[in-house]
Amino acid sequence: MTALAEDLRTVADGALAWVDAHRAGFALGEDALAVDGEVDLSWKPLGELAQVCATVTRLTEPADPLHARARGLLDFAWQETHEGELFLRLQRLEPFATYPLEVYAALASAGLRHPAFEQAAAVVARTRGWRLTEQDPTRRLGVLRAEERCGVHSLGQAPPGLEQTWLGGLPEPWTFGRDAGYALTHVVFHCSDWGCDAAAVPPVLVAYLTDWLPPWLDTCLEAGMWDLGGELLAVAAVVARTTGEDPPADAWQRLVAARGPAGEVPLDDRDLGDLAAGPGDADGERYFLHHYHSTLMAAFAAVLAGARPDSPPARAAAGHRYGGQGAPA
Amino acid sequence: MEQSGTSTRLQAAVQDLASGVVSALRGGDHAHVVPPAGTDGEAGDLALAAVRVLGADALLPGLLSHTPPDPAELAVFRKAVEAYPPRPDAAPTVRWSHWAMARTLRRADPSSAEPPAEPDTAWLDGATWQVLTHQLAVLAPLALPGEDCAVHRLAQHRPVDVARGFVRAVRRRDWRQAAGAGRWLTLLPGVPDTVGLESGLDFVELMGGQDPLVALQVQAARRMRMGARG
Amino acid sequence: MRTDEKVIQRVTGIQAADIEAALDPVEADGVYRDSRQCAGLALLSGGGKLLLSPPTPRPKKG
Repeated sequence: MTALAEDLRTVADGALAWVDAHRAGFALGEDALAVDGEVDLSWKPLGELAQVCATVTRLTEPADPLHARARGLLDFAWQETHEGELFLRLQRLEPFATYPLEVYAALASAGLRHPAFEQAAAVVARTRGWRLTEQDPTRRLGVLRAEERCGVHSLGQAPPGLEQTWLGGLPEPWTFGRDAGYALTHVVFHCSDWGCDAAAVPPVLVAYLTDWLPPWLDTCLEAGMWDLGGELLAVAAVVARTTGEDPPADAWQRLVAARGPAGEVPLDDRDLGDLAAGPGDADGERYFLHHYHSTLMAAFAAVLAGARPDSPPARAAAGHRYGGQGAPA
Repeated sequence: MEQSGTSTRLQAAVQDLASGVVSALRGGDHAHVVPPAGTDGEAGDLALAAVRVLGADALLPGLLSHTPPDPAELAVFRKAVEAYPPRPDAAPTVRWSHWAMARTLRRADPSSAEPPAEPDTAWLDGATWQVLTHQLAVLAPLALPGEDCAVHRLAQHRPVDVARGFVRAVRRRDWRQAAGAGRWLTLLPGVPDTVGLESGLDFVELMGGQDPLVALQVQAARRMRMGARG
Repeated sequence: MRTDEKVIQRVTGIQAADIEAALDPVEADGVYRDSRQCAGLALLSGGGKLLLSPPTPRPKKG
């Protein structure tokens, strides 16, 4: 095993083991359906867990321990939703909210489905009002992808609205910042069906990302933005499934070094001292919130980077153009 | 890092000199960029050292406008070349900077001595795009239209890497490096259009242009872009 | 070293090392501060006044 492959395996194993050991943090809790429940602390983490595990099961062999662990976490997530029943109840409470469909779509992509909810969602999604829901273009892409996964309709080759996103407009790469970064990673995730269909990323975006991911990644890691850094590593892995480029070994080394003692990855470098299981965090909730997303993203990126390409790598596309430019391996 | 008093005064003198070059590049008036020879004492010596640090760019306005240099200016430039040769263990950027000055001197005054042999570029073999861009930015005086030296040839093989270095420098708010890299990008074939160089140079000037060393590179880049189009 | 070089160095105190340090600078540290987004500004209908702060809480009925 090469040093890079070892790093990828270390990150994936450690991150998913930490997530598994902290699965209670992803539980929906009593207020999952409450009118004042904080969905960003309940449904959002559960949906993110489901999405990452869905991709992990798709890209790993059934005999791989990672596969079994991800499958186990998916089953846990599905149980948390009462096998999909809570989506139906949530829809009755908030029929025009998009997040129930988005979270459900992550589970559905792993084969966990609730036909009655899908039928109910389709009724609402047929309205003009639903289609005109005002959202960031990037989020809109995510909703369209969710609708496709739930059989509401199918996406064409080029998802509508792509050119309204930051990435789709091919902006000057030096205008990149944190918000633009999160927007662009999600455009790639939605376009590629969370890494499972890398070929669906339009070639013009593949070329653009091949050019500019290196400085974005380098500066995010230098700034200690591990969460966005992990997402960019995942994007790099999606792009590499088309171009056949090697994962950036130096960036992976930096992410390995940034991990906590149990394989968890912090969001960023701020306030780490305060979070170290201090007196105000007896149940570790703040620590969990500061780590769960970046740890999921690290697992997601590592599995994507370590997986075999979809098709024989079209190295020619990138290789000829760049003539061996880039940081030497 | 604390700087010695000498080094602080030297930096200030370099900035003054760079301001003069910027005005000359902007207005076409290149008189008095290099201080007149014969200034005695420390001020004159400091100015001479500043010419050595600014390097070949001290004569850039005349070079880009194809105006023969003022003999007094040339004399000071020559004195700086001769007074501060690189020491045997000098860093590659020091050696290249000196070579560029000797070469510029020879071009401005063919009666000058032949420039020494080109230093090598071994230190950039296999350099990461980050290191490459930083070193090229330090060697921005070598970024000239029609230049043909080993550093130039090396840069021409890595346009995407230099463009990445430009993006990185802007992200890090390292305006000097960004400006130097931007100047190189105006000359290199194969830079992706999406980099948006023109607005990039405007942005670097907006953010860092108070520093004459930034303004100098941006102005040089603009002049070279105009030259390339004209 | 030639005589004129020696003279220059003796008079100015500028050492070759100062010049070479200026010609071989280390890279500056990166500075990062990401742009923030202010919450959308709400225009009060009628008054046309910019509302930058949350509305004053009103006593609840009952």
